[in-house]
Amino acid sequence: MPRKGFSNFDDYDDGFDDDYDYDVDVEEDEHEADEPKEEVVIAKRGLWRCAICTYDNDESMHVCDICGVIRHPVPGGNKTINNNTAPFKFDAPSPDDLVSNGLKSSRTGPKDSMKNKEKQDSAEHNQTSSQGRHDNVGVGGIQSFKSLPKAKADKSKETSSSSKNMEVSESLTSTMNNMSLTGETETSRDVKIRSAKSKSNHKPEEWMMLDKESDALSQLNLAIVGHVDSGKSTLSGRLLHLLGRISQKQMHKFEKEAKSQGKGSFAYAWALDESAEERERGITMTVAVAYFNSKRHHVVLLDSPGHKDFVPNMIAGATQADAAILVIDASIGAFEAGFDNLKGQTREHARVLRGFGVEQVIVAVNKMDIVGYSKERFELIKQHVGSFLHSCRFKESSLTWIPLSAMENQNLVSAPSESRLSSWYQGPCLLDAVDSVKSPDRDISKPLLMPICDVVRSSSGQVSACGKLEAGAVRSGSKVMVMPSGDQGTVKSLERDSQGCSIARAGDNVAIALQGIDANQVMAGGVLCHPDYPVSVATRLELMVLVLEGATPILLGSQLEFHVHHAKEAATVVKLVAMLDPKTGEATKKSPRCLTAKQSAMLEVSLQYPVCVETFSESRALGRVFLRSSGRTVAMGKVTRIIQDS
Amino acid sequence: MRILRRDFVRDGPGSAKLMAEDSDDLWFTYNLIAPGDSVMAVTSRKVLRERGNSKLSERLTLKLEVQVEEVNYDKDGGVLRILGTNILENEHVPLGAYHSLELVLKRRFLLRKKIWDSLAIDTLNQAKHHNSSSDLAVVLMQEGHAQIFLVGKSVGAPIETSIPNRKHAGYEAALKKFFENVVRAFVKHVDFNVVRCVVIASPGFTKDQFHRHLLLEAERRQLKPITENKSRILLVHANSGYRHSLGEVLSDPKVMKMIQDTKASKEVNALRDFFTMFEKDPYRACYGPKQVEFAHEQKAIQTLLITDELFKNSDVKERKKYVDFVESVKKLGGEAFIFSSMHVSGEQLAMHTGIAALLRFPLPGLDDVEM
Repeated sequence: MPRKGFSNFDDYDDGFDDDYDYDVDVEEDEHEADEPKEEVVIAKRGLWRCAICTYDNDESMHVCDICGVIRHPVPGGNKTINNNTAPFKFDAPSPDDLVSNGLKSSRTGPKDSMKNKEKQDSAEHNQTSSQGRHDNVGVGGIQSFKSLPKAKADKSKETSSSSKNMEVSESLTSTMNNMSLTGETETSRDVKIRSAKSKSNHKPEEWMMLDKESDALSQLNLAIVGHVDSGKSTLSGRLLHLLGRISQKQMHKFEKEAKSQGKGSFAYAWALDESAEERERGITMTVAVAYFNSKRHHVVLLDSPGHKDFVPNMIAGATQADAAILVIDASIGAFEAGFDNLKGQTREHARVLRGFGVEQVIVAVNKMDIVGYSKERFELIKQHVGSFLHSCRFKESSLTWIPLSAMENQNLVSAPSESRLSSWYQGPCLLDAVDSVKSPDRDISKPLLMPICDVVRSSSGQVSACGKLEAGAVRSGSKVMVMPSGDQGTVKSLERDSQGCSIARAGDNVAIALQGIDANQVMAGGVLCHPDYPVSVATRLELMVLVLEGATPILLGSQLEFHVHHAKEAATVVKLVAMLDPKTGEATKKSPRCLTAKQSAMLEVSLQYPVCVETFSESRALGRVFLRSSGRTVAMGKVTRIIQDS
Repeated sequence: MRILRRDFVRDGPGSAKLMAEDSDDLWFTYNLIAPGDSVMAVTSRKVLRERGNSKLSERLTLKLEVQVEEVNYDKDGGVLRILGTNILENEHVPLGAYHSLELVLKRRFLLRKKIWDSLAIDTLNQAKHHNSSSDLAVVLMQEGHAQIFLVGKSVGAPIETSIPNRKHAGYEAALKKFFENVVRAFVKHVDFNVVRCVVIASPGFTKDQFHRHLLLEAERRQLKPITENKSRILLVHANSGYRHSLGEVLSDPKVMKMIQDTKASKEVNALRDFFTMFEKDPYRACYGPKQVEFAHEQKAIQTLLITDELFKNSDVKERKKYVDFVESVKKLGGEAFIFSSMHVSGEQLAMHTGIAALLRFPLPGLDDVEM
């Protein structure tokens, strides 16, 4: 499913026009022949673990208590005999293949069955070659009824005729997969083995499905970005206040405190900038998260820093965004400064948004009051920024232009009262624009994936991981695994917008209180995942990137800062694989000397410490990368191959 | 380095009696000594002596000359180990017996080489004139990660502390703990008697916060050296707290002034010029042995940048090749910088293959030369 709403758009195609074909890819993704996951069962105390909901059932049960899945798959005629190659192509085909096939090469076969959510009943404990992964109770036994212990690369027996299962001949030929050892049945949970997962076999349970009646509003994660001092935090604060999320009393308090510190104009911003440091300096330093509801959405507002030094934090925030508001200061001089190629952040933020695949952007031209609500000024800004955004491959139709003034409360939640504005502007107000944003489809049916944005430790020793679920769902009692450490635990409770909630699904921004996990193992930059579908952890990656305009040349051995979801690491370029033609994706020159601005290229990086990452085709949220150096974002792209697991 | 006696011919055989005075000197020595040379020094050895029926093993101090087979430098321990066979007639140690010589500071030794090539002589001269006082200390940091450098080379292990998000409780405490760790390392490695000035660099405001914390701590704990020298502390912006940002910090004009004539500053400048050239006129810069060789054949090299590691790691033939290289570049009127891989600039150059050049004129043909 396309992540960002519009189905037919290339997701991130800054110069990568046709080759990525993300959406087509993604459709294939769903049907992708992920290797059937191996069932891991416990041979202890007569319990067996359901492969789907990870609930420990009693031996005597033949059907899982919770999800109703039959324990032993009934071997039946496999209608879908299919020699699919492993979707994880670690032994890389040449970059040409990768690119020109749009990473579709491996995705063939009758995968429609995979997506079938109705078929929950039949057995599909697909057994694959071993994994040796054990849950926290397991002591070792991989049950014998599990697949024939062939050579580790071999796929296992067929499963039920529910045609969900494909016999996948898993060609795990890469060294990395050789690490997923058949022999090692007693692997410690610390091993981050690349599990042969068959995501297609992951059946979402009934509770995971969105109950349409109970909740008519959809989730929308909205990032607010823009050059420093453009008015992002003030705008956010105003919005929250107008929508009743901040009480009058609180507002008075902010005003009073702000005035006493000589920062009266920052009163609204203080609703978001809570730390003393931020208030003192009058800037946002880390992403502030706030919640409000519009007519159609539960909106999670991610107020990002605009300051050049905090772009890494802004990247961490933007990774969660489904759509964004780009705030521009309309006042004379300020717009120009923000828009400056080298010194301003307007462009960098917009590029980063595009790099994250955000398509829908509301351009809020703020501080219109200072320029007298001039139409000419607005049009000028619209023209300049518009042509820039267009060059970044934002589609005209997914951009909305809203003139407003946060300070004067014009055009925020209702039509402007100021005649100078309403005389020429009849478009939607900001809130309406937010409403008209389409919330993207979510990967609820995929196994759980939640990049950890933040870790909170309460005084009682309680650990909570905060972040946005990119795939799957959780509820209290679900078993989760924390990567990169591999520790497992259970979900104690969920909290969304300071209120407890029972279920969290892909797209939700929540704080998950964890139980049974060593607090030191949970870190920002890590990932929470389903115990049976661990996310990959690696230090060496192959990337396909676009070098941005204005970037310094990238040489062999260049040291950069690598960003992926919420993680960042020091990285070294170890190989310049090839330069690619932006139109066709074909390699134009192998082993180039250097990469300069506006070039598309394939390269390999080696990271100082391992990060949790997936190839882009596996997971968009975990496969998008940014490379920064000397205080600027120099390149952005995606992970095409994980070369070496750590 | 103290050169007690020189007795060699340029490009010919000879010996030199030396004594290392600081760790940089040991590094120079490490670069000087190659397999095939011989080193004579006082050393200790466990000797087995048979007296009648009993076998006694004693540790004797004696002077041995060893034909070098392998050289190892233990940076942290400050020891240079030379492994080879004994070639000095000795009543206790037979000829040909393996021995491991340890060279430490303040220990004299005699180095005999078959060929004192220009590089070796250069190294010796550099060592002689090398001024060990590191004028500059840099604390490069970002939230949760810091490293202290003394004029380009790192000292001590990097300081890492996990710090949670700003908005949550525990942030202040974790930050404070991080700062305390950095202060501890600071006190340990920064000696104001030696260091002329300290630079604290970071992106954002971490440096200001740390500076504030440092001064308060110094007051509180009566750390005189810091309180008395607070005017010698400079705050500079860095793009990140990672090592590779050190070059940018050292290029800052305020800092440049401080390290103007040191070798470190020359290296930093040369490397920076290289990157700038790549940006401005990519065909006037190249890196990688094959590309640089090609450029040299075209007599195009204006400035050559090369790490001492390249000399160290290559066999005799390769080493000669590089030495000749350096010489011929100089002969053609070019400049050659030999980067010490102990310093961050040298490390950075090593990452980029270890050899690079700025050219007098553009060479589009570089595109066809493989990397």
